Amino acid sequence: MPKSSLPRLLRHLLKLVGVLAVVAWSLVPIGLIAMSSFKSDRDIFSTTGAFSFAPTLANYQALWSRWGDFFFGLWNSLLVTAGATVLAVGVSLLAGFAYSRFASRGLQASAFFLIFIRLIPPIVITLPLFPVVNWLGLNDTHFILILLYATFFVSLGTVVMRTFIDQIPRELDEAAMVDGASQMQIIARVILPMAAQGMLAVSVFVIVYAWNEFLFAFIFTTTKAKTAPLVISEMIGAVEGVEWGVLFAASTVQLVPVLAFVILMQKHLVAGLTAGAVKG
Amino acid sequence: MSARTPLSAIALVTPVQLMIGGIILVPALYVFWLSLNQSSFGQAATFVGLANYAKVLADPYFWKALLNTVIVVAIVVHVELLIGLGMALFFASGVPFRPLLLAIVLAPYAVSEVSAVVMWRYLFEPDVGMMSRLLATIGLPPIEWAVNPSHGLAMISLLSIWLHLPFSFIILYAARLSIPSDLYEAASIDGATAWTSFRRITLPLLMPALLIAALFRYIFAFRLFSEVWLMTGGGPARSTEVMAVYLYLEAFRYNAFGSAAATGWLLVLASLLLALFYLRRLYRETFARA
Repeated sequence: MPKSSLPRLLRHLLKLVGVLAVVAWSLVPIGLIAMSSFKSDRDIFSTTGAFSFAPTLANYQALWSRWGDFFFGLWNSLLVTAGATVLAVGVSLLAGFAYSRFASRGLQASAFFLIFIRLIPPIVITLPLFPVVNWLGLNDTHFILILLYATFFVSLGTVVMRTFIDQIPRELDEAAMVDGASQMQIIARVILPMAAQGMLAVSVFVIVYAWNEFLFAFIFTTTKAKTAPLVISEMIGAVEGVEWGVLFAASTVQLVPVLAFVILMQKHLVAGLTAGAVKG
Repeated sequence: MSARTPLSAIALVTPVQLMIGGIILVPALYVFWLSLNQSSFGQAATFVGLANYAKVLADPYFWKALLNTVIVVAIVVHVELLIGLGMALFFASGVPFRPLLLAIVLAPYAVSEVSAVVMWRYLFEPDVGMMSRLLATIGLPPIEWAVNPSHGLAMISLLSIWLHLPFSFIILYAARLSIPSDLYEAASIDGATAWTSFRRITLPLLMPALLIAALFRYIFAFRLFSEVWLMTGGGPARSTEVMAVYLYLEAFRYNAFGSAAATGWLLVLASLLLALFYLRRLYRETFARA
């Protein structure tokens, strides 16, 4: 470490200021709505200190009684997220294995194509998909969201899986092959258990994305499959002024599970982000 | 390795390629065809050549949207990388409770655009929001994001930086950690100041990661939609529209599929242009393996 000329005490003080700034930047907006979701309407914009209020569950009760749609939206979000995760992780595992274990010009070209295609903005493909989806009767179904969310993450998923599978010694699958195992058996018995880390990393991305996605849900769903972010956006756009308390309650309910998940999966998120972004 | 691709490998990559091909490639090509035709819902397309492009390029709202996009992308990506770099170096210099602090920094990654808009609107609600009152206390005018277009774009930029900072930070932090510490020790023995070791060691070695982070963020910031749609809806009077919002309105509100498709292809071309450098590098790396 380079020597600093600053006195020790000042350095500690600066570091403390830095830590506080980082915490304030990241947590104040989140903490504020979570806290305000327990405030009465009067306290939400009260000027007498943010912390002095009598906590109430009124906003959550109002959310339950007047915005039943929101809980239906949460259920849809859950189904779509689960479906997209299983689909994306499954196909990424297979492709990641192929790209890790086989190399030929054709395969390399298809790997290049896989990453190249990620550059196309999602909104562009909604134009031709919208009439086709309508025509197929897939509009407003969980299936179409699952397919779209998984598709937009299989590129990154495959790159991340390939990076992780590259680290599994080839001798293991060669030994299994000598024992007469088929390709699928090798994947299921040898690769799958050892690539669990990578699969978790891919899952974190897909789950966070599918749980929070707005654009596709906005365009392709109306009532039956609409997800929680869409319902919250309807609450923001309510004609009769914004009901802040109920909005805070809904945002908190939507946010807390995925926040807890990201914190729990921190290590895998970081591993996946570095594997995916730096190598792909 | 043989030049022929084994059948089993083809089978394994088929699902991924089918999804990508069917959901992204074919529709993207179809958008190009749409952009050369006059069409709307339930209406047969007629070939019009480049008329849609001419129409879009003659539309002042398109140029406004393009300008807004460029401004927001420039602010968001550069400010975000600067803060991300600062935070990465700060973390690398040693911080107390590092795992906890890292979790806190990652927290915005979990937040949906919708919830983020709720948060920042609440903070900056005119007269009553906490930040608005703070600005008033220190004698600054409030941010009138709903009526003043440049304030609206500033809010959108702030929100976007907040949401995506974890991504830039992690890339830079991981790259900074991979710089061997003996380099710094050697520099320190040679009497280098903190500034010189930053200039001579940290910055050059972080350059590849900075470039990658910048490219990804340019490409992703360029398709900005939700933040703008939810914060200002493109208003007031279409003054805060960005490219994606312009495209959405053309297609789904004004039913002008042709001009929406032309806008879409301009978006695709812009994304490819931004990524050209990255694609070239990737191309060489990919085929070095074959």
